[in-house]
Amino acid sequence: MNGRLALLFHIASKHLLVRRRQTLVAVSGVAVGVGFFLAVSALMVGSQADFVKTLIDAAPHIIVYDELRSPPPQPGVRSFPGGAVALRGYKVRNEVRGIRDWPAIVRTIDAIPGAIGSPSLSGAVTLRMGGRDEPLGVIGIDPTIETRVSTIADKLRKGHLSDLEQVQGGVIIGEEMAMRLGLGMGDVVGATSAGGATRSLRIVGLVKKGQIQLGQTSGYMLLREAQSLLNRPYIINRIGIHLADPYSAEEVAHRLETRYSYKAESWHERSADFLGLLVTRNAIMYTVVSAILLVASFGIYTAVSNSVADKRRDIAILRSMGFSQGDLQLVFVMEGLALAFTGILVGWMLGFLLMNILGSLDFPIGGENQKFPIDRSFRQYLIAAASSLLAGVVASWLPARKSARVDPVDILRGAA
Amino acid sequence: MSAILTAEQLSRVLPVDPPVTLVDNADLTIETGCFTAIVGPSGCGKSSLLYLLGLIDRPTGGRLLLEGEELTSLSGDERARIRLEHFGFVFQFHFLLPEFNALENVMLPIRRLGRLDKAGAEARARQLLGNMGLGDKAEKSPDKLSGGERQRVAIARALANDPQIILGDEPTGNLDSANSARVVDLFRQLAHEQGRAVVCVTHDLAIADVADVRVTMLDGRITDVRHQT
Repeated sequence: MNGRLALLFHIASKHLLVRRRQTLVAVSGVAVGVGFFLAVSALMVGSQADFVKTLIDAAPHIIVYDELRSPPPQPGVRSFPGGAVALRGYKVRNEVRGIRDWPAIVRTIDAIPGAIGSPSLSGAVTLRMGGRDEPLGVIGIDPTIETRVSTIADKLRKGHLSDLEQVQGGVIIGEEMAMRLGLGMGDVVGATSAGGATRSLRIVGLVKKGQIQLGQTSGYMLLREAQSLLNRPYIINRIGIHLADPYSAEEVAHRLETRYSYKAESWHERSADFLGLLVTRNAIMYTVVSAILLVASFGIYTAVSNSVADKRRDIAILRSMGFSQGDLQLVFVMEGLALAFTGILVGWMLGFLLMNILGSLDFPIGGENQKFPIDRSFRQYLIAAASSLLAGVVASWLPARKSARVDPVDILRGAA
Repeated sequence: MSAILTAEQLSRVLPVDPPVTLVDNADLTIETGCFTAIVGPSGCGKSSLLYLLGLIDRPTGGRLLLEGEELTSLSGDERARIRLEHFGFVFQFHFLLPEFNALENVMLPIRRLGRLDKAGAEARARQLLGNMGLGDKAEKSPDKLSGGERQRVAIARALANDPQIILGDEPTGNLDSANSARVVDLFRQLAHEQGRAVVCVTHDLAIADVADVRVTMLDGRITDVRHQT
């Protein structure tokens, strides 16, 4: 059996080597298709990953707020579920703001594989410097957990998130606000909370300007210190959640909300419009890329089809010798596959080259040198190879079937 | 001498409108060790009969038996297998594959049968070419060979799998008289010394005269079967 395949491949390779120019055209067709597929998809996938990183990972995937979407059911309603009772006008007890029993919620979150929950407390303070007042939304965080939940650590112009733990009263604010107040690293500024408490804070870090997700009016403090400044000890009002799979955020958020009834907002909810954009982008990419690969397979179709037409006499001779119709179809399918394989290999090299060229280009945006985000994962190579191989099989099998329809009698008689 | 291939009421009708009868109820027995010549005017159906006997074409009626075994109902693959093992064809044109040299052309059927490995196939092909007096031309491509040499390569290829039946369709039609005589001698040797059944379609009466059996056809019918001594 192996001998048979080797023999048939030997015949197929002879056919291809004789028709060198056509072989070259077909191979370059596939190679260009695969190469550009790789370049385009590396850019698209790379930029999508970049998008996701910038717009999704910048903030936690899910944020649990100390808010309720609808008021909790009243005891009267709970006692007679489904009963024809409507209670109105009863007095609702005042509840302390903040997430109750938050350590339990954080434990539940941490039990989800790959998920991390970062509790934080936010509140408003006023920074005072000289005669100037600036409102600041402080967010009290645990730096070691927060770095794993959001990308805030990457957005710092100066300082480190961990410095919050080193410095008493450390705060990180936006560089624009620091400039307005005339503050720099290590400077001390007075902060007054809505409750009237006053503290001296020391600037230990500055957040870069131009970040969409991080407002310039936010500042970061240690959770403990924020609780004390805002006079809300042991209270948190937000839990940021980072998930291993950001796309499961919606489902996880729903589960948490059903269980704890606090509003859990996934990034899906925050940026539904953005998701639609990604779907459109992918649709565009795969349409363009399939078109490229389809066109490439036309080259294979033409090459194999011409080969069958040219080799009608050889087909008849081989049949008379005792080769079966299946043998000859296989010869021509092998021709197509050989073209596809060679094209894929050359295309891989071309794609690799194009990616390196694209990846080496840089262009300045907002004063910072940026490079194209290139996704170099092997997955793209496999997708390119698999789809052109599939297209190649179809493109060679269609004309190869014609070889079976060659009637040796017609050829042998016609030539005689 | 024994019957190897038997045609019973073998017919081939082309399904055109009106139908064309190429072979009309042919009864014929081919024997081993016997050189059979089929003669007749152009278009009498002698080549068509040969293609039916060689399983290249399918009959529309009648039966064909190889050593008593019915062949008419076999599938395409089974027929191909029988062609590979039991038949060797020689045509008017050499029909060598142009991309392969003489040796590779002879090796094709041997390798397809797969009983010998590649080295064994090459040794056998060299031996066959040597028998044809072409030992030194094995590596030449067909277009570097003369007409007579090409036809002898084609005969070597027909003998590749040691078939019991050799079928020739005007095998000398394109050769000069010297080469022609050489091919005819070869065919007689194959029949008389090696005990194969040799069937030749020809309009060359010189061949017909030296054949053991002379089959005459006219308008698709076998009109005469004469044993000659």
